[in-house]
Amino acid sequence: MTLVELYVAEVGKRLPLRSRRDIEAELRSTLEDMLEDRGRKAGKPVDDDMVKDLLKEYGPPDKVAATYHPTQYLIGPRLYPFFLFVLRIVLSVLTVVLLVGLGIQIAAQPLQGIELAKTIGSGLAGILGAALQAFGNIALVFAILERVLPASEFKFDERKKEWDPATLIKRSEPAEVKLWEPIAAIVFTAAAMLVINGYPQLVGLWFLQNGGWHSIPVLTAAFFRWLPYLNLLWALQIALNLVLLRQGRWQAATKWSSIALDLASIAIGLAVLSGPAIVSLSPEALQATGLAAVGNAASLNDVLAQAVRTAIAVVIIVKGVQIVKDVVKLIFRRG
Amino acid sequence: MGSTENLENMLQELRRGLIMLAVLSQLGKQQYGYALLKLLADKGLAVDQGTLYPLLRRLEGQGLLQSAWNVEGGRPRRYYVISSEGKKLLPQLKSEWDGMVAVMSRLLRS
Repeated sequence: MTLVELYVAEVGKRLPLRSRRDIEAELRSTLEDMLEDRGRKAGKPVDDDMVKDLLKEYGPPDKVAATYHPTQYLIGPRLYPFFLFVLRIVLSVLTVVLLVGLGIQIAAQPLQGIELAKTIGSGLAGILGAALQAFGNIALVFAILERVLPASEFKFDERKKEWDPATLIKRSEPAEVKLWEPIAAIVFTAAAMLVINGYPQLVGLWFLQNGGWHSIPVLTAAFFRWLPYLNLLWALQIALNLVLLRQGRWQAATKWSSIALDLASIAIGLAVLSGPAIVSLSPEALQATGLAAVGNAASLNDVLAQAVRTAIAVVIIVKGVQIVKDVVKLIFRRG
Repeated sequence: MGSTENLENMLQELRRGLIMLAVLSQLGKQQYGYALLKLLADKGLAVDQGTLYPLLRRLEGQGLLQSAWNVEGGRPRRYYVISSEGKKLLPQLKSEWDGMVAVMSRLLRS
């Protein structure tokens, strides 16, 4: 095999199969034309040195083959926006569903201390694994689509033709604070502080008996151990809402403060989950009301404790997701 | 990035569209790749073969060129010629080019 043939074969190895023979034939005839031209100019037959010089000038086979390829993408610009779109939806839904599942699992088993941490850790690792697997599968599907879909189809960017500049205004709106939001937050937080600190007996199971309203308090001693931390958190939330009311829009400092407060509430929530129940209905008290028999009263107490744990777990998950979204927005979108 | 590398990149960008127009303009009569390379070089536009051959295939893929294999002097060669679609497009491209040259000349003089 001549040096030219070897060179052509080396280039061919790196070319797509469907166009390989065609490009190889054209490359071979071009090199032969060039050698013939050089031999004529030099006034002597083509020799090995001439061939080597020509091939050296033509370039390494991998570089020559690369000139026939458009830029190589796993997922090209045509499909990439749609890939991101699908990825965001799938990962968001998957994460939320698995987090809720984890929350229910945690709430259903009254775990404490290290066992609770282990369950949360293995649950989060499982979610990470599932997210990575989903990412890999979606990337694989889009990589295949990239190679099999004709260029004329699947023009995702056609949506851009209908782009409306007014959407810019809509997009900037989330930074604005609606007046009622901080006011409602301040009123409800202050009301909760007042009731829980001043009249904790009001938080209970209310029932009508003998023409009057009565209640069975539900907050346990465990709850009141957390109350100083909750009071501090609520006071800071009121302060943040006062700042928002004054500024009229979210700014980086207020966003980060809100994230810090959400993190603090998650920490308190996890601590509450890992400790004894913060609500309890005494079966005896329930039985005395005549609302439930002894057995039913105990079950009702379990249901209440479970419902509160589930509610706390759901709030932790929702706040966790919100924190991730806010941090991503703050870091990557500047507000 | 050095200034020489910057200059090379900018020249490459400038030449990219220009070579496409030059190729279309010279393929009213069929030519094989190497002959076209020499033709362009003789007229003052030196084009690297690594640029020309992929460009010919791309223009053919876009329907602006047609090609066919012919055996001439015992050697098979692929001949390219402008397609009917390319012929329709070429006058518009030339007109755009003339406009750009006029504008750029004014801009660079001022």
